[in-house]
Amino acid sequence: MSPVPAAALLASLAAVALIADRGWVVALIAAVLFVVCLSAPRSRRWLYISGTLISALSVFVLSPLVSHTGTHVIWEGPHIPVVGYLDVTSEELAAAGIQALRLAAVGLAFAVYALLLDLDRLLQAAGFARRSVLAVGLATRLVPTLERDAAGFVEALRGRGVRVEGLRGHARLLSPVVAGSLERALNLAEAMETRGFGRAGRTRAPSPPWTRIDRVALVAAVLLVVGALWL
Amino acid sequence: MDGVTFSYPGAARPAIADVSLRIEPGEVVALLGPSGSGKSTLLRALAGLVPHFHGGRFEGRVEVAGRDTRRFRPADLADEVAFLFQDPEDQVVFGRVENEVAFGLENLGTQPAHIWPRVHASLADTGIARLAERRTETLSAGELQRVCLASVVALEPSLLLLDEPTSQLDPGGAEAILDLACERGSAVVISEQRPTLPLERCDRVLFVEDGRLTINESREEALGRLPAGFGPRSPEPAPERRGGGEVLVRLDGISHTYDAAPVLTGASLELRRGEILALTGPNGAGKTTLAKIASGLVDPGAGEVERRGRVCYLSQDPGRYLVSERVEEEVALAVGGDRERARRALALVGLAGFERRHPRDLSSGERERLALACVLVAEPDVLVLDEPTRGVDPPRKAELAELLRRDAVRRATLVVTHDLVFAGDVADRTVELGALEAARA
Repeated sequence: MSPVPAAALLASLAAVALIADRGWVVALIAAVLFVVCLSAPRSRRWLYISGTLISALSVFVLSPLVSHTGTHVIWEGPHIPVVGYLDVTSEELAAAGIQALRLAAVGLAFAVYALLLDLDRLLQAAGFARRSVLAVGLATRLVPTLERDAAGFVEALRGRGVRVEGLRGHARLLSPVVAGSLERALNLAEAMETRGFGRAGRTRAPSPPWTRIDRVALVAAVLLVVGALWL
Repeated sequence: MDGVTFSYPGAARPAIADVSLRIEPGEVVALLGPSGSGKSTLLRALAGLVPHFHGGRFEGRVEVAGRDTRRFRPADLADEVAFLFQDPEDQVVFGRVENEVAFGLENLGTQPAHIWPRVHASLADTGIARLAERRTETLSAGELQRVCLASVVALEPSLLLLDEPTSQLDPGGAEAILDLACERGSAVVISEQRPTLPLERCDRVLFVEDGRLTINESREEALGRLPAGFGPRSPEPAPERRGGGEVLVRLDGISHTYDAAPVLTGASLELRRGEILALTGPNGAGKTTLAKIASGLVDPGAGEVERRGRVCYLSQDPGRYLVSERVEEEVALAVGGDRERARRALALVGLAGFERRHPRDLSSGERERLALACVLVAEPDVLVLDEPTRGVDPPRKAELAELLRRDAVRRATLVVTHDLVFAGDVADRTVELGALEAARA
């Protein structure tokens, strides 16, 4: 599938997940996107999937504790200054479940976008704001680069017999990873400049024509959003 | 280039001083000199990156195909000058090979109908037509370097600047890259720390020392004047001083795969105290994987590993040794913060006086030595060095070989390298690891 209809379909699924108020619809979207994510290489997908699932789980656990809705109390907790009583009601749990599923669906839609879409062709398809779209494309590729840099630092430390353990051990790597990415950004900017980036009169390589599947996907994307708004 | 002197912002002395030279159309020029002598700055001046991209103080004049680089930005010179940088990872913009090659052509305003044919012709010319649809992050360093070469060759420049383009390549790959670059009919300037290959291909030699051009002569005239170590040298086989003491690492029948692709099949190796073993072989043969398995950083998919004593592994990327805020703290990490030992290790690699500097303030050559100090400080029983001569100039290589030989008796040393000259200088024996072949040593 061409990247533009694929991106439109992903965006519409994320939008439907945010609009829909039926839990099973959001759960179905999250499940479909999760399965699609599994077709990405294992070494690349784990960061996106684990990040999304941990965030969703955090919302599910923390949200009932800080919200104050519903009357069917399941658990009565202590009183915390500023926050109030840490009661959990069945209504809060249901709402937290929906919010967590929404977050998971949106996160997984982004994961599919980052892992499986041909971002280059998506970029080529953008006829306007090319610099901004290029920046988004480079930023998306930054995640695996940072991940590889962090793994490289850990490996070099282990190679010296230094263990990297716990939050403090890993937090210490944050500064060198960020500094390294800044150095890399400068080198990349220099390389782009020597290849004519920023010159006037830029042209675009022709994109392959859309197939029937691409057209169907685009129509489906529109219908999904319209359907979600209608219902 | 006429009387060019350039200082980076805040620098105490110029990176290049009073450099004048002329490069004729189609001429192949070898640019040699010690690390930090100003070679990369000279190339950047030819591309207009100096002063446009870096700022600083610029005197003199550079003209490329009649265009003054003070008035034309590097992007405006891109149809005449193309630059291949040392590290391919730092110059790739796109995720797919053919799009990467098309990027420059699009920027230059090439007619859309001509872009894909030129992309595919360039990929075919550089021998990587089969990679057109591949994702760039799945390529080996050698493949990625060829993609970068294809990207610049596609622009059909009249001047091609190559900044250590073969530092990550095996000898066969390095030769192929330089042949491809030199056969295009463009003028080519090749900066290299392995001088033999450019010296075999060049018409003229430039030698830079402390920012000054000390040699600017035809190849024949220059060969007699080059300082020791910078002349052409054929690799000499290691003398096979086999023996050594106790076995410290034994690898038996090691097999390993990455994402279902086999990289090692039944490799076996012994490392003995007192012995230096060089592990050579083509890109993708599994040398680094075997070195990491020997170091305990990677668990093999199959096979037996026995290890005795402390093992230290030096990564091929010195940028991985920049975790701390001070040089001595970085080195002391491996010895529980013992700064006295850290200072001794720094002195050993010629970095005495650098203790309080920030590791990121060091030059690339100094970073190489810092990385070496970071592993030597632990006085390991087994020392595994992965491409320790990448970007290191010939005199420093000789010093490194001497350092390793001096202390060889204390430990087992494994050197993974593409540099066959260095392997011949330092190793007691050499094992060549063929792609997917077992190394029986």
